[in-house]
Amino acid sequence: MNESGILKNRVAGWRIIVFIIAIGLVFALYIVRLLSLQILGFDEYFSRAEENRISEISLSTLRGVIYDRNGIILANNIASYDVVILPANLPDDPGEIQEIYRQLSELIDLPVNLGEVAPETPYVPCVSEHGITQIADYGITSAPFRTVKIVCNIDRTLAMIIQEKAVDWPGVDIEIEPIRDYPTGSLTAAIVGFLGPISQFDESYYRERGFVPNRDKIGYAGIERYFEAILRGKPGKRVVEVDVAGQIVRDIHPPIAPIPGQNITLTIDTRLQEATEAILLGEIGDWNAYFAELRITSGVAIAMNPQTGEILSMVSFPTYENNRMARVIPTYYYEQLLADVRDPLLNHAVGAELPAGSVFKLSTAVGALNEGVVTPEQIIDTPGLITITEKYTPNDPGFEREFVDWNRAGFGQLDFLGGIANSSNVYFYKLGGGYKDEVPDGLGICRLGTYAHAIGYGELPGIELPDAADGTIPDPTWKRINHGENWAIGDTYISSVGQGFVIATPLQVLMSAATIANDGKLMRPTLIHEVTDAEGNVIQSFEPEMKWDITQDPIIDVFDDPTAPGGCEAKLTGDKTTVQPWVVEIIQEGMRLAVTQGTLSIDAVGFQKVDIAAAGKTGTAEYCDEFANEKNLCKPGDWPTHAWTVAYAPYENPEIAVVAFVYNGGEGASVAGPIVRRVIEAYFELKSIDVALGSQ
Amino acid sequence: MNIPRGLKFICMQNISWRHFDFWLLGAVALLTLFGIVMIRSAIAGNIELVEQNTVQKQIIFALTGFVVIIVVAAVDYKILSALSQPLYVITIIVLALLVFFGGALFGSARWFTLGPILVQPSELAKMVIILVLADFLTRHQDKIHDLRWVARSLALTIGLVIWILLQPDLSTSIVIFVIWFALIWASGLEIKHLLTAVGGGILFLGISLPLMLITYNPEAEGGLIRPYQVGRVINFLFPAEDATHGDLYNVQQALVSIGSGGWLGKGYEAGTQVQLRFLKVRHSDFIFSALSEEFGFVGTVVVMALLFFIILRCLRAARLASDTFGALIAYGVAATVAFQAAVNIGMNLQLLPVTGLPLPFVSYGGSSLLTMLLGIGLVESVILRHKALDF
Repeated sequence: MNESGILKNRVAGWRIIVFIIAIGLVFALYIVRLLSLQILGFDEYFSRAEENRISEISLSTLRGVIYDRNGIILANNIASYDVVILPANLPDDPGEIQEIYRQLSELIDLPVNLGEVAPETPYVPCVSEHGITQIADYGITSAPFRTVKIVCNIDRTLAMIIQEKAVDWPGVDIEIEPIRDYPTGSLTAAIVGFLGPISQFDESYYRERGFVPNRDKIGYAGIERYFEAILRGKPGKRVVEVDVAGQIVRDIHPPIAPIPGQNITLTIDTRLQEATEAILLGEIGDWNAYFAELRITSGVAIAMNPQTGEILSMVSFPTYENNRMARVIPTYYYEQLLADVRDPLLNHAVGAELPAGSVFKLSTAVGALNEGVVTPEQIIDTPGLITITEKYTPNDPGFEREFVDWNRAGFGQLDFLGGIANSSNVYFYKLGGGYKDEVPDGLGICRLGTYAHAIGYGELPGIELPDAADGTIPDPTWKRINHGENWAIGDTYISSVGQGFVIATPLQVLMSAATIANDGKLMRPTLIHEVTDAEGNVIQSFEPEMKWDITQDPIIDVFDDPTAPGGCEAKLTGDKTTVQPWVVEIIQEGMRLAVTQGTLSIDAVGFQKVDIAAAGKTGTAEYCDEFANEKNLCKPGDWPTHAWTVAYAPYENPEIAVVAFVYNGGEGASVAGPIVRRVIEAYFELKSIDVALGSQ
Repeated sequence: MNIPRGLKFICMQNISWRHFDFWLLGAVALLTLFGIVMIRSAIAGNIELVEQNTVQKQIIFALTGFVVIIVVAAVDYKILSALSQPLYVITIIVLALLVFFGGALFGSARWFTLGPILVQPSELAKMVIILVLADFLTRHQDKIHDLRWVARSLALTIGLVIWILLQPDLSTSIVIFVIWFALIWASGLEIKHLLTAVGGGILFLGISLPLMLITYNPEAEGGLIRPYQVGRVINFLFPAEDATHGDLYNVQQALVSIGSGGWLGKGYEAGTQVQLRFLKVRHSDFIFSALSEEFGFVGTVVVMALLFFIILRCLRAARLASDTFGALIAYGVAATVAFQAAVNIGMNLQLLPVTGLPLPFVSYGGSSLLTMLLGIGLVESVILRHKALDF
């Protein structure tokens, strides 16, 4: 052993300096790194730290209430009692937790253990089927300071029992959540609609506005959908500081309270709606029983005040039960509705596009009189059948085509009123397409189109329903585009009686009659009586809106050589004209005559029993759609028919106009007629009750 | 042997407390105090840690530690040369007993309980290995150019480390190997041997890495390395930005904590990452991130400067030590502080992978703090007895 070595410090100085340099370099590197993180990266890291701690909480708002015109609630928010677990408050002891689960399980009839929360079987509040343990464990792992729903919408009494028990069950609680309730259910489902979840597609739009998918719902149909923006309100907001477990530490800004949605009062009278539904369903039921088969599959009845456009009742059959969709849309029920060929989810009153049949003759009638195609007094020969030469081009030698009247015996000699009252097809063929020397110049498709538009056909009615359709008023250009064929004279004949390419919705048919009833003033049909805010202040009060007055506003297009072949646009002169008031009057008379002596005068309709003067028009529209084809009903010359009737009353000062449509109903007058008559009757009965009660 | 009398004799020798390094003690005291203050802030919101009286425990450890500094400084380190061999044997026995029976008796092979506190013998083993190696290398410094003696010192180290590796505690084992390397370097390891070792290492990697890559099969269990090991390396080298859980999340949150501190920090007890507990293990392994958030760049640099100052003062003691044994003790302590600080800070800055090494003097942990303060006591003992050339 080297003594001197032990007693002397023989650690080389340079080796220590090398060490110092090495450490110095490492520390220098660290300081550079610190500079880059804390100084250069400050903005990014600071915002990430803020993102960590700041959380925005959307405070749910209350959706507006929907009332009928008398204040009866059609859509409302009611309390739903949900059993929830706040995982963070559960006891520490697993045995205690299991005991709570076990006791809770007995009360709510949900197994303690069921299934597994996995990507294939995710936890969806109130929907997915998982046991209490699985749901609670999901909550513990995802957000221990937020409640997870165990079961939803339990009975109020049960909720009270659990609330009491929850004193001894830390972590278990009852949450009260508003859900949508439709007291009138399927009666008004086609109008009111229903709610559904915010889809992925709409998620960003609604998130921006403070809504939370899986919590908030949006309108999927009807008024709920059309007035989504008015009804939904504005969610409130809390900006809070949260810790890593998601527990709220404090509010960073004062919370912004939610603004409830506005309330909507509809023009619907629930009592008349009930009556209308009962009458329509009763009539359909009776006929189906009579034929001993499910012959009539759908139907519509609408009542409207022709002077204001207010829809008083609107029944579309078949429909659905919107209460079943109040919390969630049950898949099996929704799929069942979608699979139903009768399309119960569609409001047929505004969305079904159908051959209008003879009710459309009102367009031909207004046009023919106003354009001087006939005079009211002119007598037209109306045999049961006429034959014309069908040509597709001017040089086409053509072929003979027969046009038959619904009355194969014919009506003989008819003046204008007789033509309308008896709804003679031959009369209107001749008016529409012209016939030899008798009616040298028919109205022609171009002029027919402009008059049809003037009384409400071929365009959107302006009603506040999302499924409103516009129908079709054909013209030669339309036919070229859609069918690749030239317009033939026969097409004009057929169109003149509302067959062929003419399709319309029940509401459009009602509008056409209401325009005549209202002396040419076409009121925009509306369902909205009033909009109020949550405090009841009126935001928007009812104001009837006239679309136009055909006797005042020049909306009738004037054409050059209107009956010549070719497209209508090319023949537009650019001039517009009006309908002469006497024309409307004559048609009113014709419709009155239909009730007193014509198609609507038969006993089956029963207008004799009503002491209020009514006027109307029937329609028996031939159709051959996929369903008729399937049943092999489309036999040439004997197609199945839809039944139509539209009428208004009182004749002198009309306050109600009603349309009824019965799919595959057969003859217009005998099937749809009684419906219209009974709805009119019900209206006046209710009115007399109201008068007696002094409420009007 | 009559150690108490010998101790007394040695203590009473004409040492001058004038040479006591008050700068070193001051820096250590400042850093320890800062650690306690920072731990107090870091555990806020963690009821469990508050209930365990974490801060109070650390204060008691710190006070005990400063008593230890004075006592150890008073003892002449030279007698430790004779004590190093028995200490070595005792340490190995304790560590071995822990490995065999610790799991059954205390639930872990790493520590045993002494009343309310956990004692971690592997921490103390760092100081023991410094003493053992300093003694060994002092006696055989003239033979250090012979690789066989280097190998013997390594064998001595492995004889102790093996029990720590078996616990298993890889990071403490690495610290002890680093102490070994630092001490043979200071004792005069031949540069050519070092270069050979470095060259050998490069050669080893040069051959094994391609082999690993060739045999690597992510699907199969075979091959020289396993997919999860590759995953860890890839995770460190190319961290995924959007990871929200696990180690990576913690490291990301550490970076967010540091970066959001800015120049002056968010203020004491006002760091959102710390107070709202987004930063994990913020009172021990990641206390550096916590102080970076609350005291910013300036505070962090002050702490690093204090650490660097402590290392320099220890190295000063090594320079001034009257003998090689004392110099190697001081140097070994400096190396321990430096390595642990470098690894811990590097991990916080995401420049090094995550290991469980605490930040010296600052991180929570009684055994670690006591060991470090014991080391400072040794350094003070060395400086107290340096060749007083100035009088």
